[in-house]
Amino acid sequence: MTFLYPLGLLGLIGIPILIIIYIIKNKYTEQTIASTYLWILSEKFLKRKNPIKKLVGLISLILQILTVAALSLAMAHPIIILPDAAHEYCFILDASGSMNMVSGEVTRFEKGKEKIAEIIEESLDGSYYSLVCVSDYTTVVYERVEDKEFAIEELATVEEGYSVGDMDDAIAKAQEYFNLNPSIKTYLVTDKVYEESVNVEVIDVSGDEVNYAVTELAYELKGSNLTVTGKAVSYTKDMELTVELYLDDAQTPVVTQIVQTPKLALTPFTLDTVIPEEGFEHLTVKIAEQDDFVLDNSCTLFNVKNENSYQTLLVSDAPFYVSSAIKAVGNAKLTVWSAKEYADAYESGNADGFGLYIFDSVSPNELPKDGAVWFFNLNGNVEKSGFTVQSEVEVEGGAKVEMSTSSATLVKKLTENVIANDFYISHYVKYGTYRNFTTLFSYKGNPIVFTGNNDYGNREVVFAFDLRKTNTSVGAAFTTLVKNLLDYSFPTVIEKVSYSVGDKLEVNVLANSTGLKITTPSNEEEYMNSNVAISEYVLEEVGVYKITMTVGGTDRHFFVYSSVPEEERAPDATAAKIELVGEAGGGGLDGKFDTLIILFISVALLFIADWGVYCYDKYQLR
Amino acid sequence: MKIQAINEEFLQQIETLQMLVKHNVAGLFGGNHQSKTFGSSCEFSDFRDYMAGDDITKIDWNAYARFDKLYLKLYLDERQMHTKIYIDASRSMEYGNSKKGEQAIKLAAALAYLSVCEMDKVSIYVIREKELIEVIGGMVGKEAFISNIHKLNDIEFGGDSYITDAILPTNVGFGDGMSFLISDFLTDNDYDRVIDHLAGKKRHVVCMQILSREELNPLVRGKMHFFDSEDVNRTYRKHIDKEIAKAYKAALNYVTDRIKSICASRGNDYMLISSEESLGQIFFGKMIEEGVLK
Repeated sequence: MTFLYPLGLLGLIGIPILIIIYIIKNKYTEQTIASTYLWILSEKFLKRKNPIKKLVGLISLILQILTVAALSLAMAHPIIILPDAAHEYCFILDASGSMNMVSGEVTRFEKGKEKIAEIIEESLDGSYYSLVCVSDYTTVVYERVEDKEFAIEELATVEEGYSVGDMDDAIAKAQEYFNLNPSIKTYLVTDKVYEESVNVEVIDVSGDEVNYAVTELAYELKGSNLTVTGKAVSYTKDMELTVELYLDDAQTPVVTQIVQTPKLALTPFTLDTVIPEEGFEHLTVKIAEQDDFVLDNSCTLFNVKNENSYQTLLVSDAPFYVSSAIKAVGNAKLTVWSAKEYADAYESGNADGFGLYIFDSVSPNELPKDGAVWFFNLNGNVEKSGFTVQSEVEVEGGAKVEMSTSSATLVKKLTENVIANDFYISHYVKYGTYRNFTTLFSYKGNPIVFTGNNDYGNREVVFAFDLRKTNTSVGAAFTTLVKNLLDYSFPTVIEKVSYSVGDKLEVNVLANSTGLKITTPSNEEEYMNSNVAISEYVLEEVGVYKITMTVGGTDRHFFVYSSVPEEERAPDATAAKIELVGEAGGGGLDGKFDTLIILFISVALLFIADWGVYCYDKYQLR
Repeated sequence: MKIQAINEEFLQQIETLQMLVKHNVAGLFGGNHQSKTFGSSCEFSDFRDYMAGDDITKIDWNAYARFDKLYLKLYLDERQMHTKIYIDASRSMEYGNSKKGEQAIKLAAALAYLSVCEMDKVSIYVIREKELIEVIGGMVGKEAFISNIHKLNDIEFGGDSYITDAILPTNVGFGDGMSFLISDFLTDNDYDRVIDHLAGKKRHVVCMQILSREELNPLVRGKMHFFDSEDVNRTYRKHIDKEIAKAYKAALNYVTDRIKSICASRGNDYMLISSEESLGQIFFGKMIEEGVLK
């Protein structure tokens, strides 16, 4: 036994003082009375003599001595050392997606934390605790911590993940602890059922939960006909599941279908509907039945086309041909202004906010800074555009332009599927370039269609002819060319909108992007690297992630949906074996038993007992 | 002056009382008490046939008219009683603030006055050790009372007292009145022998046990070492608690019940009197209730 404050034992001096006081105080009071006859006679009438009664006078003294002794010991704060009674504990806490299942009133994860807290609470002081958390990756929350309160407080701050838990790193860490101390007690708190465990005690927190899920969701849009396909699954029993389709944020489903779902069978379903004229941003498929794991009961898909469409401004006094070409591709939200309207908007500072500016036979006063720019038949110089106007050339009888035969990747990509055999022009503008442009079509060495980046870093496409003076205004070849150029001008930012937790999201960063951030389903914002061509982000939560890209001062938003990984959906997953290699054993740690509370309780009880004896002696007898 | 506590007004009040003698007395001189012999008082007793030589003035002529036979009407004779009052003068009667001795003297004085008012003879004795000392002897009449009663103030309490040894050897008289034994009776002495002896002498015995308030209801608790006022060798050392207090009550009841039963079995009277009680309460309350006075 050791004492934290040995000086407290000085209180024991009170015991002899107490005894002296008792001896002094406890004398018989002498008194002469008229006759002792009745008192002596009363002896004959005394009931059975209780020998303990002789100690009654001493009881109070004994209680007071014990009180002083207990109080002194409490002040000295004794700690009893119990050799080999304590242990080192290692807890591996599974924080994978399936631990989010609600088991009873709390999730499996919370239940697991409670179990760990119980073990820590019940362990002897002097024990050490390590906590390894397994979710997307293995985290050592704390290592060989002796402070119980700290261990429990830190445990409370651990949060569950949504991904597949990979035990390998955690077991490796536990093996490391085991090698250092073979007497360590290793607990694996999980909802997986292990067929065999060696040197690890598995605490199973799974219950009789049920789970249904919707998975492998996809859609196809043909005109206004939307076909959604997917699979429903029930992991615990045969079920008749109700699958509902919602468009955007609608409160009522547009399609409902009953799906007979045998246990563990991925049962396909198809939901057909007609989308409204304005289109849709996202669709959600839900299973109406309630289960214990809500995270996989719904899945949301975002409209890729909608995601990657752009606000496009066409400035033209005769916009028919250009707008027809743009609309034929159907990937742009087109706004058409006349030259005067644009000039007025420019004057009032409202001529911005578009992803693409198309100037058809119109020369802007200033090159737009916040988007890609196309020029048709530009006959006036525009600063920072990267080229200058030299002259206008009329071609008698028209002339066939030649498509570049360069093997450059960009040329191949932009001329892909373009058949330019009969592409004729009767007029063109001759330009001189001072930046690097890629020529796609040319006539006698003069660039007719060329592309590159302007001084603002935005992509730029120049058509050196008037569309009205060609034979190809709305032809298939030109439409294909426009599509390729649009894709070039607006590279797809998000190519895939449906992920699982743990997947890596890839964002194509636009060349003129100045900022990129992502908002998680739990509304936390994180900034992504916008200085690379493809920015990556590991999805850790279930739900909708919002990606915000700032282009030319304007924010563009993209959405992706992250669902629970397939491996984490089964409520009763099993695993083969978990093992810590080596032979367990060896001495434990010295346990510490803090007697302070017991001593204080003892002091309180002794005080109450002494008070009771005092009251009995003083009042009850009378 | 202990007997000054008895005021004149009280004495006038007790003149209305009369001692109730359970045995008819056999006194010599005329008094107020009925004798066993037939006499000339006004109190009718019986009839008997007329015999030659009888006083013809005692013939009941009404009975002769009815039965045509001579009957003699008999009346009780009234004789003078000799009241004897014995006071225990041991130290226990006067120790501390008990006032038992004072109460005993006041009782004796009042009883003596009551007796002289009834034309009885009164003798007052004190018992000290084994001696019976006459304080006032053969007092008759109020004048004698007034001139002798102050002697009671001279009674000193001290030492031990042996009632039996003191009274038995003396002439206690025969059938001539009441004997009052005033004591705390806190002794092992066989006072029942005295009661038997007096009763055997056809005397009406009244045992008056005087106890102080502390003796009747002791409040003392805790560790006590008591010394007896009469004998320092008699001590009692105990932690007095609830159990012992109960035992004390039982002992007290035992003592009082014992005297009471001894008296009752011999046709005599017993009274337990607190030293705190007033004479009025005793004479006009207790003694009338017990049938000692009327």
